[in-house]
Order: sequence, then C-alpha cells, then structure tokens
Amino acid sequence: MTPVLEAKNLTKRYHDFTLKDVSVEIPAGSITAFFGPTGAGKTTLMKLLTRQIPATSGTVRVFGLAYDGREREIKSRIGYVPQEPVCYRDRSVEFNARFAASFYERWDGGAFYRMLDEFRVSREKAVKRLSRGQKTLFAIALAFSHEADLLVLDEPTAGLDAILRRAVLERLRKFVADGERTVIVSSHITDGLEDIAEYVNFLSEGRLVFQAEKDELLARWKRIHYRDGALPPDLVRQLADVRLQPFGSSGLTRDFSALRERLAPGIAAGDVKVENARLDDILIAMHQGE
Amino acid sequence: MFIALSPSNPDPMYKQVTDQIKNAIASGDLKPGEKLPSVRELAEGLKISAITIKRAYLDLENEGYILTRAGLGSFVSEIDRERLRQEKLAEYRAALSGILATGAKFGIKADDLVRVIREIQEN
Repeated sequence: MTPVLEAKNLTKRYHDFTLKDVSVEIPAGSITAFFGPTGAGKTTLMKLLTRQIPATSGTVRVFGLAYDGREREIKSRIGYVPQEPVCYRDRSVEFNARFAASFYERWDGGAFYRMLDEFRVSREKAVKRLSRGQKTLFAIALAFSHEADLLVLDEPTAGLDAILRRAVLERLRKFVADGERTVIVSSHITDGLEDIAEYVNFLSEGRLVFQAEKDELLARWKRIHYRDGALPPDLVRQLADVRLQPFGSSGLTRDFSALRERLAPGIAAGDVKVENARLDDILIAMHQGE
Repeated sequence: MFIALSPSNPDPMYKQVTDQIKNAIASGDLKPGEKLPSVRELAEGLKISAITIKRAYLDLENEGYILTRAGLGSFVSEIDRERLRQEKLAEYRAALSGILATGAKFGIKADDLVRVIREIQEN
C-alpha cells in the first residue's frame, strides 16, 4: 500500500536547533501521533511535512506527489492546524474564514459554522480576542471544512478543557473512520490521544527515536508490581522505570510474553501483579533507555 | 507487606488498600499485634493521598481488623480466623456464581467445574 505521506531523511537546520534525518511513512486511514518533550522538534516536523517551511535536505511526498511544482494542489488537500493560526489577528473569525476559503478548491461554509457553534467560538470576535483554546478550535474548524484528505494538527488539544478535548478527539476518530482519510497529530502529552492513535512516534532532541504500532506496544509492555525478593535479580535488572517502594516495587517489561512463564508462580502466590502500562510511562522509559 | 494499586481496578483506592491489608492479615503476612506503617508512611510509599489511607484504616478499624491507639499508631488485632474464612468464602461464592453463569453459556456445568477443581488439587 502506498503511504499517504512519505518523508525521507528530512533535515532542518536552524542556528540553535536541528531536526535530523527523519524518515517516516504514514499509512492511509489511520491516526499517527508524534509525541515528545517540548523542544523535541514536533512543530518543525509538522511544518516540514506540510511545507510551511522548506527542508534543508531530504524529501517529502504527499498523496504520491512531490511538493515541487504541485505545492498548491497538495496543500488544498491538507488541513493544517498550527499552534498559532496565521491570520489577520485584528479582523473577525468570519473575515478570516472567508479569506482562508478563497485559497481552497472546495469549501463547506455550512460545516465550518456548524463546528464553530458546536465549539462555541464567536464568528464576530476578532481573532486576537479569542482564548488560546478558541484559536485552536477556529483552526480546527477551518481544517475540517475544505474536504481535506489529510489533517495535520500541531498540539490541537493544548489549552482545551476536558469536554472540548474529547469533542476534538472524537472528530479526529470519525474523520479517519472511512479508512480513506488520514490524521497526523503532534502532542507533548498523551492525554486522550493514546486512545485514538494507531501509530505512535517519539521525537527527542531533534531525532525520531522510535516508531511503533500502538496496540503492539501496549501488548508487549506491562507494568509488573512485585513484593521485594519475589523476582530473581536478573529479571529485575531487565525492567525499565523501576520504582522501588517500601510496600512493593514495580517496573516495566518491554517483552511480557517472554516473562510470562517465569512470572506465573509469583502471580499464583499473590507476590506479583501485572497491569497494562500507560503509554506515557512507556514513552518515558523508551526515551531514558536511549 | 506488598500492596499494588491499580487505577484501572474498578474498586476505589481505599478499598484496594483495605482488601490487600486484609489478605496480608489472612495469609499471616501481617501478624496480630504487628504495627502497621503510619498513614503518612503508607501514603508516601504508595504515592497516594493520606486521606485515602486514613479512610482505609478507619474502615479496617470499624471492621475490627486493626486497632488504632492515639500517639502509638495502628496495630493488627487478634483476629477471628473463622470470620476471615467466612468472609473469603462469601467472596468466592460471588466469584463462582459469575464463573458458573459464564460457563453455562458454553455448556459447562457445575459438575464439570468440580471435576476441574479436583484435578487441579491432585496435580
């Protein structure tokens, strides 16, 4: 299957930061998440993938096409949600929407205003008077309203309360439900995104440190709680993110199926308990294991 | 003492604490007269709020599993083994009725389960 987006050896050099050699393939009909700490290069990568900025070296192909010469065509099929919407800040939401709509081949104004109403964003207000979360919602409504095939969102849940965050995530989930359309999303937190993402990537200090299928990751990684002395030392040494606590320690295994048999007696005796690991614990453990 | 709390467990945190302390008492891991960690120590060790531990200790005290003496701390009571046994049996009854109901859907009868229990015991 041809990926919707394919980046090869993508590098962007700034005087104080470099995004190095990122290669990634984004499959169609899925949600792919890029996690990483602040300053890891998530925003730079999102901008490179959508050609808001040119790469120092490396290539990006979207819908099987290279940007060179076909930038406008490709961009009209991408809904990009930046952290700070680029627009006329002194003018109203409605003015900015009409302006943005003029760049798109297709525009569904009805869908746009319905979404603004759902998100309770005023259409008369000047963009600069919107809260951070409202600006994001405005950008999301724009991205959803020109029949894009690919959405690229840069931290879309930042600044949203729990209810709106859920509404946005539900929109994203439905967007890819037909199996044709695709979402790429960045976040520094795993709050809610881990439920809907199928592929997870982790960026750190300008490098893509790993890419994985989420379900596989969660099946392999488990948190093991154990009574001190209940596990052989060689097994404990294999664990990551070990938390030594007076009433029972715990650690993460990256390969539960390999340990299953060795853990069985401890589980039967009640000295060992296994639970699903949280995605953010896994991400941090993988990061520290680098 | 070994306590593992899980946010995905449907039981509230204080109940997870009381259940596991009861198990430790029943198994002899905690002995009558033994001093329990202070509320503060246990809260710190388990990384949960002291209020949750306070609630757990209060429940354990009301049910007679522990005694709290002002200024001295909480201690495991002299326990009535028969009562613990009865309580556990009631738990197993509830769990088994669930297993029976699920088994019935697959045509597994009570006799089949009794046979399985015997087999496990013999091995």
